[in-house]
Amino acid sequence: MTPLAKYGAFGDEMGLVMAFIIGIGFGFFLERAGFGSAKKLVSQFYLDDLAVFKVMFTAIVTAMLGVTYLAWMGVLDLSLVYMTPTWLWPQIVGGLVLGVGFAIGGYCPGTSVAATATGRIDGLVYVLGLVFGTVVFAEAFPLLKGFFYSGSYGQQTLPGVLGLSYGVVVFAVVLMAIGGFAGAGWLEKRFARPASQQ
Amino acid sequence: MPGFFSTLTLNQKLAAAAAALGAIAIFANPLPGGAVSIDARTLADIVERDADRIEPLELADWIIQGRSDFRLIDVRDAGAYAKYHVPGAEHVPFSSLTDAALPRNEKLVVYADDGVRAAQAWFLLRARGHAGAYLLRDGLDGWQQEVLFPALGDATTPFQQQRNARLSNVASHFGGRPRSGDAGAAPAVAAMALPTPPAPVAGAGVPAGGAKKKKEGC
Repeated sequence: MTPLAKYGAFGDEMGLVMAFIIGIGFGFFLERAGFGSAKKLVSQFYLDDLAVFKVMFTAIVTAMLGVTYLAWMGVLDLSLVYMTPTWLWPQIVGGLVLGVGFAIGGYCPGTSVAATATGRIDGLVYVLGLVFGTVVFAEAFPLLKGFFYSGSYGQQTLPGVLGLSYGVVVFAVVLMAIGGFAGAGWLEKRFARPASQQ
Repeated sequence: MPGFFSTLTLNQKLAAAAAALGAIAIFANPLPGGAVSIDARTLADIVERDADRIEPLELADWIIQGRSDFRLIDVRDAGAYAKYHVPGAEHVPFSSLTDAALPRNEKLVVYADDGVRAAQAWFLLRARGHAGAYLLRDGLDGWQQEVLFPALGDATTPFQQQRNARLSNVASHFGGRPRSGDAGAAPAVAAMALPTPPAPVAGAGVPAGGAKKKKEGC
């Protein structure tokens, strides 16, 4: 049965090793998708290359279908899979901070590490900023604590919030992804830049 | 039909496959995830490694640090819970452990008056598939002996002085006080008055006061 860690297949130390291996794999595929380049990443904000959107949504749909079918077959115990609880206000603000940082810096946390690994200086600067911001946040945490824990709604799921069955939500998300891909293709044509500007 | 299929691009074929899988998934009911089974060897191994228990001082540190990646469950009866409970503990009487709506993806620390009842609760929770269940070693007895009223040993070396200072700090944080001198001459723990209980925490389903999770995830 899975999740392996929850069934005691390996301990905390081995968990770190597994995380390292999975992280290397994640970084490799980010790089292969072209996400080691800030130019490629920020293209999504100019709507002329929505590869980031498409790759991320593909990953979501693939993982969602995989998890659904594994759980349906009884291989995966979904009730043991960790879900981040909802703290509405800090998560909205955190999302905005990440989005603004993404648009300004050209990377998100994962892609900045992938970029650094391929020797890009801007990626390294971004990672240093990430570390600096983390330290500032940690030191300021006592001041931010009240806000950090505000708007607590516990663990929320789309089936629970929408009152739909799990399977219907899965199907709806797949349809949403296909619609999103079609829309992204249309936007890319609409906002395509001449080859000389790329 | 095969002719039509061959005119599709790879992306369109993949999209069609995802749509088909999604449509079939409408009939899926992946929760609660199959029957629970007890793996006796796994349990024995956990007990062997002492990986089933949390030390009283460790728990005290977690509470002082405001750690929120665990839920503390008091399985004693309501009277005992009202008289005293560890700060932040939720009351889930032993009899209702089997149908309490406790999450299976969170760390649960159970305790009772002594270690035996807590161990039984731990087994029950493990059997119900709570892989993150732990027990407080020696229960409330251990909590009193080691956290509320710890016996301070000699303080001749700096290390011992540091240790005693830490024990005193922890004890006073929870409204207790250390027993000084050698353990034999100190008054019996049972004779010492327990601190006033902290405000009770609502039953299972509500996170303990201030005890919120912030682990795992990205």
